[in-house]
Amino acid sequence: MSKSFDVVVIGAGTGGYVAAIRASQLGKTVAVVERQSALGGTCLIWGCIPTKALLEHAHALKVIQQASEWGVTIPSGTPAINMTQVHARKDKIVDGLTKGIAFLFKKNKITWIKGTARLAGPGKVEVFEGDTQTLEAKEIVIATGSSPRSVPAVTIDHSRIITSDEAIHLKEVPKSLVIMGSGAVGVEFASIYRRFGSEVTIIELVNRLVPVEDEAVSTELEKSFKKQGITVLTGTKIAKATSTPSGVTIEAQTPDGKTQTISADVLLVATGRGPVTTGLGAEEAGIKMERGYIKVDELYRTSVPGVSAIGDVITLGTGVHPQLAHVSSMEGIITAERIAGKAVQPLDYDHVPGCTYCDPEIGSVGLTEARASERGYDVRIGTFPFGVLGRARMAGELEGFVKIVADRKYDEVLGVHMIGPRSTELVAEAVLALRLECTVEELIKTIHAHPTFSEAVGEAAHAAHGAAIHM
Amino acid sequence: MPTPVLMPQMGESIAEGTIVRWIKKVGDAVDRDEPLFEISTDKVDAEIPAPAAGVLTEIKVKEGETVAVNSVVATIGTSSDVSSGQEPEAPPAPPPVAPPRDAVVPADVLDQPHEKAATPQRKTNGRSATASKSVEDDSRKQRSSPLVRRIARDNDVDISQIHGSGLGGRVTKNDILGYIETGIRDPGPGARENLESPGSRTPDPGSRVEIKPLSVMRKKIAEHMVMSRRTSAHVHSVFHVNFSNVERIRHQKKAEFEQSGVKLTYMAFIAKAAVSALRKFPIVNASLDGDNVVYKKDINLGIAVALERGLIVPVIKHADEKNLLGLSRAIADIANRARSKQLKPEEVHDGTFTITNPGQFGSQFGMPIINQPQVAILGIGTIEKRPIVIDDAIAIRTMAYLTLGYDHRLVDGATGDQFMAEIKDQIEHFDAERI
Repeated sequence: MSKSFDVVVIGAGTGGYVAAIRASQLGKTVAVVERQSALGGTCLIWGCIPTKALLEHAHALKVIQQASEWGVTIPSGTPAINMTQVHARKDKIVDGLTKGIAFLFKKNKITWIKGTARLAGPGKVEVFEGDTQTLEAKEIVIATGSSPRSVPAVTIDHSRIITSDEAIHLKEVPKSLVIMGSGAVGVEFASIYRRFGSEVTIIELVNRLVPVEDEAVSTELEKSFKKQGITVLTGTKIAKATSTPSGVTIEAQTPDGKTQTISADVLLVATGRGPVTTGLGAEEAGIKMERGYIKVDELYRTSVPGVSAIGDVITLGTGVHPQLAHVSSMEGIITAERIAGKAVQPLDYDHVPGCTYCDPEIGSVGLTEARASERGYDVRIGTFPFGVLGRARMAGELEGFVKIVADRKYDEVLGVHMIGPRSTELVAEAVLALRLECTVEELIKTIHAHPTFSEAVGEAAHAAHGAAIHM
Repeated sequence: MPTPVLMPQMGESIAEGTIVRWIKKVGDAVDRDEPLFEISTDKVDAEIPAPAAGVLTEIKVKEGETVAVNSVVATIGTSSDVSSGQEPEAPPAPPPVAPPRDAVVPADVLDQPHEKAATPQRKTNGRSATASKSVEDDSRKQRSSPLVRRIARDNDVDISQIHGSGLGGRVTKNDILGYIETGIRDPGPGARENLESPGSRTPDPGSRVEIKPLSVMRKKIAEHMVMSRRTSAHVHSVFHVNFSNVERIRHQKKAEFEQSGVKLTYMAFIAKAAVSALRKFPIVNASLDGDNVVYKKDINLGIAVALERGLIVPVIKHADEKNLLGLSRAIADIANRARSKQLKPEEVHDGTFTITNPGQFGSQFGMPIINQPQVAILGIGTIEKRPIVIDDAIAIRTMAYLTLGYDHRLVDGATGDQFMAEIKDQIEHFDAERI
């Protein structure tokens, strides 16, 4: 028996489920094939949501640890984290949100088909492992996403050498934790488990933390991490990692060429995520691939007519495609609208915000100072530290700054990089500024409410034009 | 055989046009001269008629896109029995340069009742208010961004000339940078030199001045005016002309003309007189081409008309074949259509003589600059009651100064003055029975 749909979406992550909802809103009949038992994909079940939930726990613990500073009296003993309770709260949040998507599917009359999908010739999708069946689709959208991957020298055993998938479920706080890689995943788990009480060492191959961010942000984060007691080893390569019954032994090559042996309870591999295409039959269906990713054009069309692909599984063939939930969902919307015959425009990947929820958190959009110089702009910079602001003093959050990267010639705001309190929220203004092609002058003329953290954005703009008011 | 539809040239200074709206869709049947699409240029907005009958088979340039003049914007497929195999008509020759500086007044308001003329202040205010309102109503504000406006300012670019690729036709940074890279028309070193007066220099920082770049249109006008000044040996003759006779005829014939749906204006009389004078002095209806004088057989009268976005000189072709009623109708018609964007491209070409009206705001007389490649231009001063001496007595008459600006290379003072004397005579001795 076969069922027929206008659109069949493979994968119910933030790319897939948003594409499905948008297509349905535009009058298409839609089915989504998902092999997980719940909807929401990596972001909801394994990634953004659970990690940010854990970070909120870490933040709560931080406030309580500083109770005396706040004039709060704790009756007796040292504040401690109860992982059972932490996971219960986190799982409740995740459960609520995945059910929310199931509700949205019902509301939009989207058919949720459980199982693993395989492309089976033009306009056909076979579903295995669940209710085996063949779906007919006028349009197919591949949104199969990504999964953590390691490097050749390190084999993941899921108990001592783990990925983020396990790190969100650790029943106990490890006494010592080594994290390999200092991208968003690495620095977020460093913040979580350091706050929870682990001895954390973070090892990064490049010579600075969060290498995709502006260098000033990296420097500020390293300073803060060291203050918090996190060991930072940059420019360091892990040559070998061996798990033992009691833990893991790591051989690390430091920049001075020496090999250092580090023992820890757990090694978290956070070196990136690779595309999920196993069993999909993409290549057999004639879809052009590139380094394992599905190659798409700027409107997410694969080399096979009627088959689109979005999210972490794709490459546009132009540099690194950001593996971020909000990018995937925007790609899903664009794809659904294109399929429905609406006029669409390609995304500008220079305008993708990045939010990293480490402590202090990072929000950024646009070009870094180095990148802007590479592109030939006559760069000028405006920086303003949060610590000067009244609002930051009230919150006791004095770390970090806002840095604006601008073009001197036309005053264009090229990038905004923040580290410090509420940066992941404050970046929204900067995203709009870039999207609407704002000048620094316009940011200066924009009223920033007082007392707020956002004043740092206005002040950084002032600084870019010469001098901040409160410096 | 399919007929290509071209982006028409709407004026010499115009190198490109924007398609604002397609009136016909692909598949629609069109008649020859049926409005096909609407364009906007820096000078004029107009509906463009179909060059041939048939079926609109292809639209190559979408709404909102800007293309160079003479680009193919669409194709009209003709049914097989009317296939002619003809090439589309060559685009018309470039029209004269931008209208002279004082050609800012709509032709059909040249009519100046003296009650109003007596209170020029009030009239001016009223006019300004109307003009600015229509600017707000009609100006096509191109959506852009702060950055685009900044780049436009620094590079002296008119944003409305740029096709916006963003949401709702918004001009983006890439659009304007692309436009600057590929689209700017170089006026040539000669023209550039002209714009720089010898004494010009950048004011010192901190000077109490505000610096704004010229708009593209302003720059073009500047170039054309300087070019005309440099080309022709301008001389001017001013005549004081008695309009009392014309005023009386207007009063008598008012009802009769209104029955024909036409307002009888002073401009029609002046145009009629100018046509007669041009007939008598063909050298004024000529142009200079190297070592040759080119006498134009037709009298094609350019009438300067103000638009909300600038100036245009629509041309009344074969003005010598029209009587007063026909001229009145034609003047009102082109002025109205110039403002409602209904002018056809060929209607701004091939003028042989221009009339302009600096008197509208109360100017006694103007010294107009010749509309190249023509050799003369008639300026009309304000028409009002003045005391004059008639038979050794002071009398009150409706008077106006008429000015002829002419090119001394071709037209000597004697000829120019005789030409003006002829116009004066025509106006003062209009035969009411002849109209």
